[in-house]
Amino acid sequence: MQDYLVLTASVITSGLLIGTIYAVVAAGLSLIHGTILMPQASNGQIFLGSGLLLWLFTTQLGWPLWTAIPAVLLATIALIFILESIIFSRFYQNADRSITYLVLTLGLAQIFSGLYSGTFGKISDTFSVDPPVRGLAFLEPTPLPNARLLAFAAAAAVLCALIAFLRFHRVGRSLRAVFQNREVARLRGINTVSVYRLALGLGTAVSSVGGILYAFAFTIDLTVGWTMTLITFAIMIVGGPGSVLGALCIGLIFGFTQAIVSVFADPTIATFAYLLAMLIMLFIRPNGLFTR
Amino acid sequence: MKDLHALLILSFPVLGLFAGDHGLVTFIVGLVFINMLLASGLNLLYGFSGLIPFTFAGIAGISAYICANLVIRAGWAFWFALPIGCIAAAVVGLLLSFPAIRLRGFYFALSGLVIQSALTIAFVYFPAYTNGDTGITSIPKPVVAGMPVASPWFELLIGAAAAIGAGGVALLMRSRIGSTLIAIREDEDLCRALGIAVTANRCLAFFLASLMAGLGGAIYAHFVGFISPRGFDVLVSLNLWLMVAVGGRGTVTGPLLGALILTPLPYVFQQYSWLKDVIYGAAIIAVVIFLPGGLQSITFRKSA
Amino acid sequence: MTSQQPLFQATAISKRFGGLQALVDVDAAQRPDELLGLIGPNGSGKSTFVNIMSGTLKADRGEVWLQGQVISGMPQHEVARAGLSRTFQAIKIFRELSIMENVTAGLLGHGIGPAAALERAREALDRVGLVSDTTLKAGRLGLFDQRRLEFAMRLVARPKLLMLDEPVGGLNPEEIRAMIALITALRDQCGIFIIEHTMKVITSLADRVMVFVNGRKLIDDKPSVVLRDRAVIETYLGA
Repeated sequence: MQDYLVLTASVITSGLLIGTIYAVVAAGLSLIHGTILMPQASNGQIFLGSGLLLWLFTTQLGWPLWTAIPAVLLATIALIFILESIIFSRFYQNADRSITYLVLTLGLAQIFSGLYSGTFGKISDTFSVDPPVRGLAFLEPTPLPNARLLAFAAAAAVLCALIAFLRFHRVGRSLRAVFQNREVARLRGINTVSVYRLALGLGTAVSSVGGILYAFAFTIDLTVGWTMTLITFAIMIVGGPGSVLGALCIGLIFGFTQAIVSVFADPTIATFAYLLAMLIMLFIRPNGLFTR
Repeated sequence: MKDLHALLILSFPVLGLFAGDHGLVTFIVGLVFINMLLASGLNLLYGFSGLIPFTFAGIAGISAYICANLVIRAGWAFWFALPIGCIAAAVVGLLLSFPAIRLRGFYFALSGLVIQSALTIAFVYFPAYTNGDTGITSIPKPVVAGMPVASPWFELLIGAAAAIGAGGVALLMRSRIGSTLIAIREDEDLCRALGIAVTANRCLAFFLASLMAGLGGAIYAHFVGFISPRGFDVLVSLNLWLMVAVGGRGTVTGPLLGALILTPLPYVFQQYSWLKDVIYGAAIIAVVIFLPGGLQSITFRKSA
Repeated sequence: MTSQQPLFQATAISKRFGGLQALVDVDAAQRPDELLGLIGPNGSGKSTFVNIMSGTLKADRGEVWLQGQVISGMPQHEVARAGLSRTFQAIKIFRELSIMENVTAGLLGHGIGPAAALERAREALDRVGLVSDTTLKAGRLGLFDQRRLEFAMRLVARPKLLMLDEPVGGLNPEEIRAMIALITALRDQCGIFIIEHTMKVITSLADRVMVFVNGRKLIDDKPSVVLRDRAVIETYLGA
């Protein structure tokens, strides 16, 4: 009996943890696609890159966390805005920009992938970051690493803050207005281009935070980028592009699925399930479950 | 005239075969021919039908794994395993296209990504047939009259396959089916109103393209002698697409030119193998930006 | 009885979109020798009716026959093959292809060999009066010529019924007159069914006019009768 309790507790906790991190990254992706109609296929690489940069700043350069974390976020946001002005902004007016952006960001992902292999990849296969808290919290009935507890709490906080921002803040509301109805938003005088930039910056920052939290909770390897891209795309499509709530719910569901499957078999089997779910959604309801 | 161009580009790599006995150069020549074949097949879908098929590499992989297994485990001769691999690839390609074929542009591409990812995962997680991530090694060269085919005959044979592939596509595109595919690419709704069975034609294009993917995949397996899931993943599909886009989609010479230019690149930077990804990625971005109107003007024209 | 068999017949056509009832129990028919017109204000269900006839949409209830053959429920391309061709409100041609390629495209779904196709294409272009160099890109043509091309693309397949959806949209008065003349000249090629929202065009062409309002058929009679009908006048002047 005790064993089952421990098992269940461990499934619940790991499900919650990985689920909220999935949700955070998926929320970033979803925000960008929902607003700009840009499927950001390199989002997973940015997620990975954030974790790698954090490792670089803390482990190699010895920076304290309160310097390193803002540095990572700043670097990531700066990069995305450079990319935006050189590349992304050219296609804002195109009607069929989604497919253009898909191919573009896949190319970008390939560049990142190559760069990581050529730089970080030469140093090591895996990367661990020292989390801000150590030790274990002894919650009945399983001990939990404090780092993971922190990661979960932080991820949950980010998601709540994001949802609140979109629902209650003036700027957040204009974001939602754009992804609910582009034409109407423009007629109401909302400057769509600055909203696009906001969505891009915010979405990328959120995904970057996801990468940082992931680095605290787990060990990173270079394949994590593509895996995250795949999973978060699936979450976005099933939950509905633009819906942070959708990203949250579906992210959690996927997280739990993975945790449960890990007990019996290789967690990659769970990935099959996500892909199948995504495919089914594409065929019957491409707008996802949570968008009207 | 255009046929002459095609023939010229096809013959160019043959020069490499005479450039001394550098194993690497000969190897690259073979790869160029394989990519010419694969890119021509992808062109059938992208250039002429207006669909970006991200599943292309995975389908080639299916043929590669089937062929390799038949030869190594079941002791079949390459020449018998090859058609099986090709047909299997064509059938799978056709089946995989069914549900997606009704989706428009972006969603079709997305579903292709999903299916390709599933295929890569399948390649890794059915180690009984694929040996997982480690891949299958020591795939023997095809045997003719008791002897394994040696360079440069093997490369010339592959060149012939590439020529047949490109020629087949050329003939197809000049036929009524070709005109139909082009019309569908331009405006599928108008085609339906004119009595053209859009879905059936697309399925045919998929079947034929998958056949070529299968041919290329099986040849690749026996030429390189080693296959792994990484060799047939999303990036491979993307890079084959790049070859077509760079060379000029919707023409017979385009994929040939693209394959010729892009295939040797990673070997120029042998020491910096990661550079290949950076260069290909940058080329993809460049191609998308500098083509007028971006991708949308050269992919299927979604009706207003 | 074949001479009296209607060119097309639609019975009890109904279609709902979510909360909106677009068509309610509509009956319509066209005799082989007449040019039928359909008018109605925006939102009256005209487009929905045309889409149902051409197979773009499926009706919730009701059936459509083309010369005695059931076509309701057939996919679009099969309806076109059965002999019912339609044009669109917004001009739809293959802009990047040549004029000749456009016209021969009209036969791609009909199994005609390339030599015969070329022959028919020239014939069709002749009939619609399109004299431009056929190697020109279709997108270069002026608006009226693009409409002519659209007609040629349909005529080449020798349809039984040609449905024209607001063919005079965007044309100037002189072009409208030419269009009316062209459509009149095409009457001996195939049955014609015109959908319009301007009274004038319809009344100068149609032998019989149907008026749709709010998804229902209000009246179905000769133009002179329709023009004097109280309800019709209210709809068009009161709207």
